[in-house]
Amino acid sequence: MRRDYGPLWPWSVAGLVLFFGIWQAVVSAGLVSNFVLPSPLEVLDRTITLLGRPFAGYLLHEHVFSSFMRFLGGFSLAAVIGVPLGLMMGRFRLLEDIVTPLFEGYRYVAPLAWVPFAALWFGTGIGGPIMVIFTGAFAPCVINAYRGARLVDTYLIEAAQTHGAGEFRIAKEVLLPGALPSIVAGLRISAGLGWQSLIGAELIVVSSGIGYVMVQGQSNLSPSTVMTAMFVIGLVGLGIDFVLRFVEARVRAKWEGK
Amino acid sequence: MDKRTPWGRVVTRSSITGVITVAVVIALWFFLTSVTGIVGQYRFPSPQDFLASFVRLATEGYAGGTLIEQTLQSLWLVACGFFTAIVIGVPLGFAMGYDRRIEAFLNPVFLLLRPIPPLAWIPLAIVWLGLSDGSKILVIFVAAFVPSVINTFTGVRNVDRTLVEAAKVHGAGTSRLISEVYLPDAAPMIFTGLRLSLQASWTTLVAAELVGAFLGLGRVLSTAYRDINTAMILVAMVVIAIAGAFTTILLAQVEKRVIKWRTT
Amino acid sequence: MSDIQFDGVTKVFGRGGKPFTAIGGIDFHVNDNEFISVVGPSGCGKTTLMRMVAGLETPTDGEVRVGGEKVTKPGPDRAVVFQQFALFPWKTVRKNITFGMRSRGASKAERDEAVAHYLKLMKMEGTEDSYPHQLSGGMQQRVAIARSYATDPGVLLMDEPFGALDAQTRTIMQEELVRLSHVNPRTVLFITHSVEEAVYLADRVVVMGRNPGKIREVIDVASTRKAEKWSEEPIDDVMEMPSFTHLRGQVWRLLREEMGEDI
Repeated sequence: MRRDYGPLWPWSVAGLVLFFGIWQAVVSAGLVSNFVLPSPLEVLDRTITLLGRPFAGYLLHEHVFSSFMRFLGGFSLAAVIGVPLGLMMGRFRLLEDIVTPLFEGYRYVAPLAWVPFAALWFGTGIGGPIMVIFTGAFAPCVINAYRGARLVDTYLIEAAQTHGAGEFRIAKEVLLPGALPSIVAGLRISAGLGWQSLIGAELIVVSSGIGYVMVQGQSNLSPSTVMTAMFVIGLVGLGIDFVLRFVEARVRAKWEGK
Repeated sequence: MDKRTPWGRVVTRSSITGVITVAVVIALWFFLTSVTGIVGQYRFPSPQDFLASFVRLATEGYAGGTLIEQTLQSLWLVACGFFTAIVIGVPLGFAMGYDRRIEAFLNPVFLLLRPIPPLAWIPLAIVWLGLSDGSKILVIFVAAFVPSVINTFTGVRNVDRTLVEAAKVHGAGTSRLISEVYLPDAAPMIFTGLRLSLQASWTTLVAAELVGAFLGLGRVLSTAYRDINTAMILVAMVVIAIAGAFTTILLAQVEKRVIKWRTT
Repeated sequence: MSDIQFDGVTKVFGRGGKPFTAIGGIDFHVNDNEFISVVGPSGCGKTTLMRMVAGLETPTDGEVRVGGEKVTKPGPDRAVVFQQFALFPWKTVRKNITFGMRSRGASKAERDEAVAHYLKLMKMEGTEDSYPHQLSGGMQQRVAIARSYATDPGVLLMDEPFGALDAQTRTIMQEELVRLSHVNPRTVLFITHSVEEAVYLADRVVVMGRNPGKIREVIDVASTRKAEKWSEEPIDDVMEMPSFTHLRGQVWRLLREEMGEDI
């Protein structure tokens, strides 16, 4: 028994129209100052301006590019270390017992709390931000690879063993592909957390990148700049998630035959 | 094989390995800092420095307050942001899960705002509310709001249809349907959302206080960073972790009380 | 030489609760290229026995020797065919069949030849690039058997390989296995629940008892098969021959005694 509401899209349109309508109306009616809330059109206008005129030293897309490269560095590092570690933890009980207590402690430290050490150890240029992204993205990589490896059918591992495969081949050809759906799901979470950690690091200590644009916008009392940056950050995050979601769908299709 | 201690706790091979690991790490920490000085104090503090800084924070205070004051300030902000978020977020998620029109109405706006990481709201919050408590509560609210809405929504949307129909057949009205079928069946999912919300609250609080604050654990962290006081940085990190763990355990206890019928 | 020697093999499981003796001292010898079926009530430890030959379990006492070498760990000289097929879902038929060959570094030409050979033998030409989920259960188990044969093991261990198949497919597979073991004779340890299957396939049938798991009796089939020329008849006809029903009855009686009140 399913309730019938009729077509739902008018509700969606109404929601969007209302959201932007109220926003524009509040600004147009002069209820709040431009220094507090710019109108949607002003934000759009500001975005176009920042693409053509340097702000805080660079053009908007140059800032985005430098942030994205840092993200790629930290995220890849987290995946390259975290996934094999998780897989090995799923295979070897001893390693699991050794890593688990340390990991549990690390998990409770908010990623951004690593910013001071990251800055002291690796500076605020490239190394520091990469470490902050790494600490944000590491945990889901490990946890999902571990869970995935534990869920791989024992028979498959035994079949590999009895057909003469060594530990390296078992890891590469049985555990990794078997855990892949879970790993990719973990990577999506990691990417979201890593991207957000980078923005945090750029707000706090780094003096370039899209997060820094926000800091500058804030101190110049230019909320339209801040909101432009928020919009772009959301867009890039969405793009990253879209790519990983595509990979996830491909993996599932191949593995599960859907 | 497993053995029982006089306290009734089971001692497993894993827990023994765990204790040994932690002991080795602490010994290594001693060795690298105090004993050999391979790692200098401007990189990482020695255990003695760490303890001394902890005592200093607890007694005379640091960065404008003692351990208790700084911790209470942070806990207070997390509590304000978290509770505001769930008081609004859970009913909203519930409504979206219960009625598809409400979902259709709110979802596009939600989809538009969701990709923006909570931390990206910090500058806007500062523009609006300055470095006050209000701006931090606002950011924590944004961070905690999203997971509580999404998970409540998912929990309610996936309520067992047969249970709903069984209740209707036995004459339950809308209010009984909500309180006796939808809420209990969605409760585990709602709590998952709350846990994620709480986690996000702490992450965001730390970031917000690092960006600018007059008091709080993030302030301790940023002041210690400026002073290149690595011992105090570590103390702040540990206290933040313990405070976060404490609230998480508290929430888990509440969950256990509320969801009594669950076996796992 | 790939004979199997069990010397006082005992296996005790004892995790958490009280120890449980799965296998209580087995001495037995399987000749090179001999096909042995193992039947017994559930809980008699027949799977454990096989897993010890595979090297997936270690005997608590005694030892298993294959070709004179003591078994300590799994190895490609003892391939296992699992009831669950255990094909790698993310590998094509070709990659599955050649999995074991790649362990010993077979060349590409060698592997291609093996794939062609076994798919022809299994009447599965044209499926080399399919994934397991695209095949029926019977075809999947054929691939698993081909994978084990392709490794060229001295010993084949089969743990109820046809247990998950429907009755018709099962009969076809039994016939094919007989044909295959004619072309490629191997030392085989075949675990099964089905008395008919055991008698039809084996040179000797081992009937096991339980509490603890032990060998109750060994029944010779090979001499009857040869005398009555079973291999020249279709499976359905063989199963109606008096020589077959006589042996089947014999195994059944032993098994019934072992099962006791469980029936």
